[in-house]
Amino acid sequence: MSGLPRAADIVVIGAGVAGLACARSLRAAGRSPLILERARGVGGRCATRRVHEQPVDHGLAFLHTHLPEVAADIEGIGGVTLLEGWPRRVEGSGTPCQPRAFLPGARRFAISEGLSAWPKSLARGLDVRCGVRVNRLRPDPEGFRLEFHLTDPAEDTEAPLASAAGPGEELLAREVVLALPGGQALPLLEGLPDNAEQDLRAARTLLGMLGSASCLTVLAGYPARAPRPDWEICYPEDSPVLQTIVHDSSKRKDARSLILVLQAQPCWSRRERESARESWAGAMIQEVGRLLGSWAAQPAWTQAHRWRYARTDPGNELSGPMLFDLGGGRRLGLAGEVFHPGSGVEAAWMSGVRLSRRMATEAAA
Amino acid sequence: MITVPGTLEELVERDRDHECDGVGAAAVCVRVSAVADLPSRFGDFRIVAFWNNRDSKEHIAIVRGDILGGGDVPARLHSECLTGDALGSMRCDCRDQLEVALTAIGRQERGLLLYLRQEGRGIGLLNKIRAYALQDQGLDTVEANLALGFRDDERDYAIAAHMIGSLTVRSIRLMTNNPRKIQQLEQNGVRVSGRLPHAIPPNPYNRFYLETKANRSGHWIDFSGKPHLPEQDDPVVVDGSGVPPDQGR
Repeated sequence: MSGLPRAADIVVIGAGVAGLACARSLRAAGRSPLILERARGVGGRCATRRVHEQPVDHGLAFLHTHLPEVAADIEGIGGVTLLEGWPRRVEGSGTPCQPRAFLPGARRFAISEGLSAWPKSLARGLDVRCGVRVNRLRPDPEGFRLEFHLTDPAEDTEAPLASAAGPGEELLAREVVLALPGGQALPLLEGLPDNAEQDLRAARTLLGMLGSASCLTVLAGYPARAPRPDWEICYPEDSPVLQTIVHDSSKRKDARSLILVLQAQPCWSRRERESARESWAGAMIQEVGRLLGSWAAQPAWTQAHRWRYARTDPGNELSGPMLFDLGGGRRLGLAGEVFHPGSGVEAAWMSGVRLSRRMATEAAA
Repeated sequence: MITVPGTLEELVERDRDHECDGVGAAAVCVRVSAVADLPSRFGDFRIVAFWNNRDSKEHIAIVRGDILGGGDVPARLHSECLTGDALGSMRCDCRDQLEVALTAIGRQERGLLLYLRQEGRGIGLLNKIRAYALQDQGLDTVEANLALGFRDDERDYAIAAHMIGSLTVRSIRLMTNNPRKIQQLEQNGVRVSGRLPHAIPPNPYNRFYLETKANRSGHWIDFSGKPHLPEQDDPVVVDGSGVPPDQGR
């Protein structure tokens, strides 16, 4: 048994930055959202894992924003060492995945303890249940029926829905927020009938047009004798394989050893993402050796992660969250980085907050 | 007291280091950056290019005659529409509206057209074409439009107001069918001394305004069955059509 309630007033699916910012804002407006996250921890792509006692950010490399309210939220994390302005030493003239991060007026932050400190601070005081995977959303006169099952810690939570998962358990929610990448929200929308206004059908068509870029990622730790690069992040000019090399250990206070995080180019990731992990991870390690020197092709250890829905391509984003009123107090909201201009983590945060504000101001029919 | 410069070229010199608190909530500030002659099929004009502090969009003023320090200057605001203005798309009336405005201004001693680079009313070309694609499937819905960014045009008016101010125009007679446009400009500090109706002549492509009614969403359907969009912030009036269509938004 899951220990989850059988019914909830409002459920937020996805505890990434968009879902947490939305839930926190709903909470501030007097609601009691229940947040369901299929991974083992919160944060989504704002992700940190510990490898040999050292935190490694294996999702986004740093936080950046033009918006004072987002910067204030990051500055309010508390109990961590914020590295304002990181990265300052940028190598290479390749295009960053978020060029806006380096425009005048942008503020950038890294966190010594790992970037997941931000979503963890957003989640404080919220009812977040991790390891719960929602497989289906069905309409009900009283709201939405959420079919879910508890995930196995070994399960690849990024994999497409497993049809063999069986019916699982059910939860009834009057209102639902999907704070997921478009590609993950879409299958959940499929279970819902078109409402009279055709809005849901339009949303599905629109999400189907947008797409999302994948990012194959390799974490590489090096022996003590390895040279330390004098840059913090590198965007190689002419690599068909690597878009970004992050000098992750340069964010840590007492880094014991050099750790690099390699992020593959979007089109290369798309081509290689279904092949064997060893094959693409090996090619990425070889490429970093070609770019930085043969020492870089000989890490002491590596780990690989496949971000299937890594980011929204610039120019593909929409301008606001969506909110569908199915009548009888049943509403369905969509938030996430694609639902705010600019994309990226500030867009995720803003879309969540804006959706919550819309839900508060537009009374349900 | 504002000193009125003698020529548009002097504005470029004046604005070289111009910086102000900006106009409107978005604190938009613009500079006159380049001026040149623009002889066109609609008459002899001068073209004035602006820099602004908010985005990399290069807004343009098309100037007829001597407007510096002038009052009651006939003026038109036009939002860029690549598909209509340049490609002759029939999904909107932008080209007709632009041509009518330039023809009218070209016939007068002086006048001003602001060509605002707000493709698809600010949503960008990609999202405008996505909106077309949804409409092609009969999915012209409020939620999709909200997400695509059909937004309020507050910032456009702030930019336009600053551009008019930079050109030292004291008051304008606005060519529009939309009273809200006058209000918005006045709220941003522009004196609007009058309104000039802006009607496009009937032609084979817009005959449906005279012959059919708008559909449920307030859009007119053209002969090919496509929704015919009011992409300018101005209801379309075809000579002889009487009441402008309800824009439904």
